[in-house]
Amino acid sequence: MLISLIVVIIGLILVYLSPLDYQQGLTVKIMYIHVPSAWLALLTYTIMTIYSIIGIAFKIPFSFIVNKAVAPIGAVFTLLCLISGSLWGKPMWGTWWVWDARLTSVAILLLIYLIIIFLNQTFENRDVREKTIAIFIIIGSINLPIIKFSVDWWNTLHQPASVSKLSSPSMDSSMLQPLLVMTVAFSLVGLIIAILRIKAEILIRKNN
Amino acid sequence: MIFIKKIFLLFRRELKLSYTNIVDLFSNILFFFLSIFIFVFALGTDEQLLRTIGLGIIWSLLLLSSTLSLRKFYEEDFNNGVLIIMHMRGMSYELIVLLKILSHFLFVQVPFLISIPLASILFNLSMYEVYNLMVTFVIGSLILSCLGSMSASMNLLNKANFSIGGIIVLLFSIPIIIFSVGINEAGSDFMSLINILIGIALIFLGISPWASATFIRLAIKNT
Amino acid sequence: MLLINNLSFFRDTKLIFENINISLVNGQITQIRGKNGSGKTTFLKVILNILISKSGEVFWEGKNISKNIFNFYNQITFISDHNTSSRKLTVIDNINFWKGLSSSKISDEDIFLLLETFNLKKYINTEIMYLSAGEIKKLELLRLILEKRKLWILDEPYNHLDNLSIEILNQTFVDHTNNNGIVLFASHYTPPIAKLDILDFN
Repeated sequence: MLISLIVVIIGLILVYLSPLDYQQGLTVKIMYIHVPSAWLALLTYTIMTIYSIIGIAFKIPFSFIVNKAVAPIGAVFTLLCLISGSLWGKPMWGTWWVWDARLTSVAILLLIYLIIIFLNQTFENRDVREKTIAIFIIIGSINLPIIKFSVDWWNTLHQPASVSKLSSPSMDSSMLQPLLVMTVAFSLVGLIIAILRIKAEILIRKNN
Repeated sequence: MIFIKKIFLLFRRELKLSYTNIVDLFSNILFFFLSIFIFVFALGTDEQLLRTIGLGIIWSLLLLSSTLSLRKFYEEDFNNGVLIIMHMRGMSYELIVLLKILSHFLFVQVPFLISIPLASILFNLSMYEVYNLMVTFVIGSLILSCLGSMSASMNLLNKANFSIGGIIVLLFSIPIIIFSVGINEAGSDFMSLINILIGIALIFLGISPWASATFIRLAIKNT
Repeated sequence: MLLINNLSFFRDTKLIFENINISLVNGQITQIRGKNGSGKTTFLKVILNILISKSGEVFWEGKNISKNIFNFYNQITFISDHNTSSRKLTVIDNINFWKGLSSSKISDEDIFLLLETFNLKKYINTEIMYLSAGEIKKLELLRLILEKRKLWILDEPYNHLDNLSIEILNQTFVDHTNNNGIVLFASHYTPPIAKLDILDFN
């Protein structure tokens, strides 16, 4: 927990020191929130998909616990991504929201997260609830590649990926470093919350 | 041979059941037209405006009104145990689901087609657009039947939250509506969009028997 | 014969029944007796492999049923507590559906005769929803004779029946067992059948 706190602080300092964009000015610093939260929103859903497949195939109860614990975290990351993107979009594009493929598919991801959370409250029987949610997650994972490739498939306002081109990242290292540190910080925070939630869930189940 | 006989038997039963429930189908169509009226009252009667947005409105209202009665997809057969009996007479749940989807498509969604030309008259759509609408709705309604089967079987044991079934159908029907409405501006890409729609239909025809059968098994085990 | 070996069932760690050993030989009628909530229906569902138990096996004619479940299903008629008939269809529609589903060879005259004995013939073209509960139950029980299977498994067959129908049902059970059939039913009412075996579930 201490480590993650340190990483968050280092990340914030790096963000503070990072250079301003000559076009975008100060608003470019929204990126250090926006991009890591978007990555983690996708990562969380990928983890849930993998755990759902494992849970359905091998009948391991732990994976259902993970699903339940992690869903709200993913929802928060997605919401953070959408809000920061919206705040970023207002000065850059002139609107809070455009009906762009990337934006819409991320909004759908948020809806899917919300449905998962609602489904957790819906069914009385635990077995039914867990498996239903797992199957729903698997079917909903169709959305993941759509989000990932939406910038390539459709001509959109949203800029294409600039970090994942590992050989020659089209981003200066002075901006890349704080971004990566912030990503690590975000994932550590997410991980800690997830571990706490999983522990709590296991304790609840033991007591019953 | 016996197997094919059983399949026809099931279809005949579904046909009879949907014939006795014909009022239900007609009330869905009535809902469709009423919501068109409400849309027109809300937007005003500007002919040009209605013609431009008419297609989108018709498609989205078709979607909404055909989700109305999806809850009944399995409910009756599940509650009175016919599903178990059919399973015991040698049909896997996957097959039952597939037959149910097809019969729902044939006996509930296809009759809906008659309402499309009427609705198009109300919006002064061109013949080309009506034709597109019919073609895309035939494919789209097959997808809707698959989605309906999934959401209905998911909600068999759901006694608290009735709207979630409709939410799930609407969520997954987003791609259908994108491609179906996009087909009018497609021009030379017409066939490729149709192919995408058929592809989506095949994907859902593949997924939904598995998913629905799993949901049905779960529901049967836990009652 | 049906052999149940060491069968136990837990619903979420809650024990429903434990270590049940019975064997049903040809020509045997067995009643599962117990008060409400004692797990009678659950027991039947475990035998039918609708619910899957973690310990214990069920053997039919020497073979474990979970190996080839459809082979087992093909030998049984299961009458559940629900009304399997569709409320919107007529009596004859329902009968034809069951007949086709179990590919039964029974002739139409026999069906009319059966309906006559159960006093249902006048309703033949009536929708199920206009019938009384007892009449629907009698219609359900017709499936026993329609399907002509060896093992009959019934859940609460005596519900809603009047005295005459109960007598006919008991006679049917005895006839079936005389033809080497097996009957297993769950009920809290004990019928006056001479060679009744009882499995107590309290």
